[in-house]
Amino acid sequence: MTNYTYCWAVFILIMSIRFGYGQNVVRYDLTVTDTIVNFSGKDKRAIAVNGQIPMPTLTFTEGDIAEIVVHNKLQEGTSLHWHGVYLPNKEDGVPFLTQMPIAPNSTHTYRFPIIQNGTHWYHSHSGLQEQIGMYGSLILKKRKTDPTFREGIDDLPTVPVILSEWTDIKPENVHRMLHNANDWGGIKKGTVQSYSEAIKAGHFKTKLENEWKRMLAMDVSDVYYDKFLVNGKKESQLFQFKAGDKVRLRIANGGASSYFWLSYAGGKMTVVANDGNDVEPVEVDRLIIGVSETYDVVVNIPQEDTAYEFLATPEDRTKSASLYLGNGTIQLKSRMPKLKYFEGMKMMNGMMNMDGSMDDMGMDMSFQKMDMNTVMYPEVTGSGDMEMDNQTDHANHSMKGNAELVTLNYGMLKAPHPTTLPKDAPVRELRFELTGNMNRYVWSMDNKVLSESDKILIRKGENVRITLYNGSMMRHPMHLHGHDFRVLNGQEEYAPLKNVLDIMPMETDTIEFLANAEGDWFFHCHILYHMMAGMNRVFSYEEQEPNPYLPNKAWAYKKLQKESNQLHFMAENDFASNGNDGRAMLQNTRWSFGTEWRLGYHDDHGYESETHIGRYIGKNQWFMPFVGFDWRYRKTDGIVEKNIFGQGNTKDSRAVLSLGAEYTLPLLVTLQGEVFSDGNVRFQLMREDIPISPRIRWAFMLNTDKEYMTGLKYIVTRNLGISTHYDSDMGLGFGATLNY
Amino acid sequence: MNSFLQNISTMKNSINILMAISVLLSFAAGNAQTKNFKTESVKIYGNCAMCEKTIEKAGNLNKEATVDWDKDTKMAIISYDSSVTSKGEILKRIALAGYDSDLFFAPDDTYANLPECCQYERAKKDAHNMESHDMQMAKDHSHHSAMTQDKNALSSIFENYFSVKDALVSTDGSLASEKAEILLKSVSEVEMDKLPMEVHMAWMKVLKDLKQDIGNIMATKDADKQRVYFKSLSKNMFEVIKVSKSESPVYYQFCPMADGGKGASWLSLEEVIKNPYYGSQMLSCGKTVETIK
Repeated sequence: MTNYTYCWAVFILIMSIRFGYGQNVVRYDLTVTDTIVNFSGKDKRAIAVNGQIPMPTLTFTEGDIAEIVVHNKLQEGTSLHWHGVYLPNKEDGVPFLTQMPIAPNSTHTYRFPIIQNGTHWYHSHSGLQEQIGMYGSLILKKRKTDPTFREGIDDLPTVPVILSEWTDIKPENVHRMLHNANDWGGIKKGTVQSYSEAIKAGHFKTKLENEWKRMLAMDVSDVYYDKFLVNGKKESQLFQFKAGDKVRLRIANGGASSYFWLSYAGGKMTVVANDGNDVEPVEVDRLIIGVSETYDVVVNIPQEDTAYEFLATPEDRTKSASLYLGNGTIQLKSRMPKLKYFEGMKMMNGMMNMDGSMDDMGMDMSFQKMDMNTVMYPEVTGSGDMEMDNQTDHANHSMKGNAELVTLNYGMLKAPHPTTLPKDAPVRELRFELTGNMNRYVWSMDNKVLSESDKILIRKGENVRITLYNGSMMRHPMHLHGHDFRVLNGQEEYAPLKNVLDIMPMETDTIEFLANAEGDWFFHCHILYHMMAGMNRVFSYEEQEPNPYLPNKAWAYKKLQKESNQLHFMAENDFASNGNDGRAMLQNTRWSFGTEWRLGYHDDHGYESETHIGRYIGKNQWFMPFVGFDWRYRKTDGIVEKNIFGQGNTKDSRAVLSLGAEYTLPLLVTLQGEVFSDGNVRFQLMREDIPISPRIRWAFMLNTDKEYMTGLKYIVTRNLGISTHYDSDMGLGFGATLNY
Repeated sequence: MNSFLQNISTMKNSINILMAISVLLSFAAGNAQTKNFKTESVKIYGNCAMCEKTIEKAGNLNKEATVDWDKDTKMAIISYDSSVTSKGEILKRIALAGYDSDLFFAPDDTYANLPECCQYERAKKDAHNMESHDMQMAKDHSHHSAMTQDKNALSSIFENYFSVKDALVSTDGSLASEKAEILLKSVSEVEMDKLPMEVHMAWMKVLKDLKQDIGNIMATKDADKQRVYFKSLSKNMFEVIKVSKSESPVYYQFCPMADGGKGASWLSLEEVIKNPYYGSQMLSCGKTVETIK
């Protein structure tokens, strides 16, 4: 008995040392500054922390207290989010949701206990700062005494690896261009998928059907990047490893919008953890890492005097970045062949209904098992199976083709320990359809962006089960703050824990988590430009304590909503020999404020402008009713022109209000109907961006006022085109089109 | 209106200026180029004139680098603009085309895909030795399993069916035709009196169609035509395997997009989908509808 008491006393003493004043505070000071970088040959603005990009790797051990002091030397607000980390809500780093932005020239301290281990990362959650340098590795080490410590894995040398990308175009501009369906990125990548290319590839019908179904050319990624980076470099080498070594790479995808294929020249990779959670080791030839996911993989250095390439290839396969492990001649990994876009388009056609919804043809798809990539690039199927139990004839085949590649998918992830949630807890079921509109770059959930939805209330102690269906045409890495969720992937009680779920078009996945951390938690697509387009929700715990950093939560939520539904400006003008033709538009998720003009160089040609204020209706946004104002002046000595309805109009001087609507017809032709305040009626058919060849666009317009126009434009640079057009009012013209 | 015309004339002026500037710039660039050009001699492994072509094509880059490789000495003269590129970058491109140097080893699969005459002796320790050792073991293993599979009288049928399927997975029409011939042979060799009653019944029911489909697959080398017959062949095989069972689990899989959207099924020994109706094009389309054990 006394012995027992004694033991207890010692135990309590030890524990109190461990967790009391004995707890280790690890402090980092991070200074955020503007900087100039040169990744591509051009000097560009970026943001550095402690003078470096990526931000410094922060390392803690489970049980530490993290104290991270942020000194903001920027001219704008900033924030840091600890991606995948369990922490008090006020430390989560989402401006206007868990704190106010860290103001310019001020200091903010994040302080939280580290109660987990694994590979994580951190990044700015303010605007588009993540794209220009604000991402870094965050390594939470397992204690040696941890009962889950895995010998042969957790004791290996580790290398933090953070993937990212760089664009010379300012991210705000990238975002604006995406919303205006600017296809400059496609031109740079060679993925315009124009009619001439379609004909060459024998896919004219495919392209026609694609446009008939009102789809614009689609790519696996949206943005053109100048460089892809591993730890901030296109290529780098780690010389410290020698033959026989095993290395654990702690990989985080800090790219703003790029998925990366990972492969290794020194043989198979063993996946040992995902999103900071251990998984049963699984050997693969390659895997795709979604935006903001993390994977831990173990690789070997097989031979002396050789370095092995660890290759990160963005999903669009335009370029790559490499890390060489070891010393000596570099063993390269073969590059991934180019995607076959028209094959992908053909498949998309098959799955797209005329009303813009998608049809999975009765296949229940989930967990990355059916990958569009295998359609768009038929991989080597080679001589079949490496498990030769059933292939007595294998030796007859030539060894030319590769053995079948093993590609990781979510179905293969298995937790080493049961992850089941408390059985007696109440269950809250939620369902979201991921929705989107590629043409206008609107991304949403259940066809609502954040600014159109309230916080979703959940209660502490509930099991929250979320079913996600991706009804959009792109894949989305959905990230939940502050919690890990179980991915119900058929591994039963060993369902893996994750905090990012990559969900491909037409897939349905179910995730669940125990609501155990009160606060307001963001749930969003981690593709930066999708997030900024409004593909977000907030889970809010009922009856939570107030957040000292955010006294007026209702006001702040409005700010947050507004941030992801901003107006985007575009303008273009054709300076032609016969006049000026142009337009300017301001648009957000639903509203459009646009004005068009045609200005001749003398009174006979006339001057006119049409202004429309409209609202896009429906999921596909094919329909837009509007109110308008038309003004024109022309000197024609009173000649009356008649439209096909017999209504007369001198056009000499006219200022009228109008009511009308625009509808996108198959082949992406816009039909516009308008009634003017003087009683006149006008219908008009128009399309301006028919991709004839990678750089040539054809435009046409005709209307019931017997006006017509046709033109060709050759795109020279992002902002400049050379054009020619014939216009029924102004005749033939040549000129230069400037666009913004 | 006047202002428009003025604008245009100023535009014309500025175009002239621009042209002048660009002419000047291109002179400057030309100078810079010659100044930064470096020439080096490096070893690149290879064999023949065909290698020479591939090596030089991979290494050359307009205005940046030129490569001149000699197939006898295996040495290349590379000259490049050191302000924009490096020896490493050039040798990396050449290695990615299949040719080793002292800086880079070509990827093994790229090397293996070189024409036979180009398969030079590699400098690196041969990883293939290891591989072929594995292969040997696997081969032994497969012999072993072939021997033990005699238990089921139809096992050779299934085995050969899977070979046909695998050939279609890799869209290899002539191989499929070859395998179909073997399959046909094994079909006619089945000793029906040794089959259990219900298997015998199922077998008799489909035998005629089976032979016909296999014959048709044999007769052509066009994988697309073979797939038409493979669809009904698979259906009939399924009828048989359902009653005869198999030692290892067999998966009955279905792709709704096959056969122009009518859908088609096949049997497989692995749960992972490898679609024989599209080959590499839609390899993973489909799902397992039934598992036969």
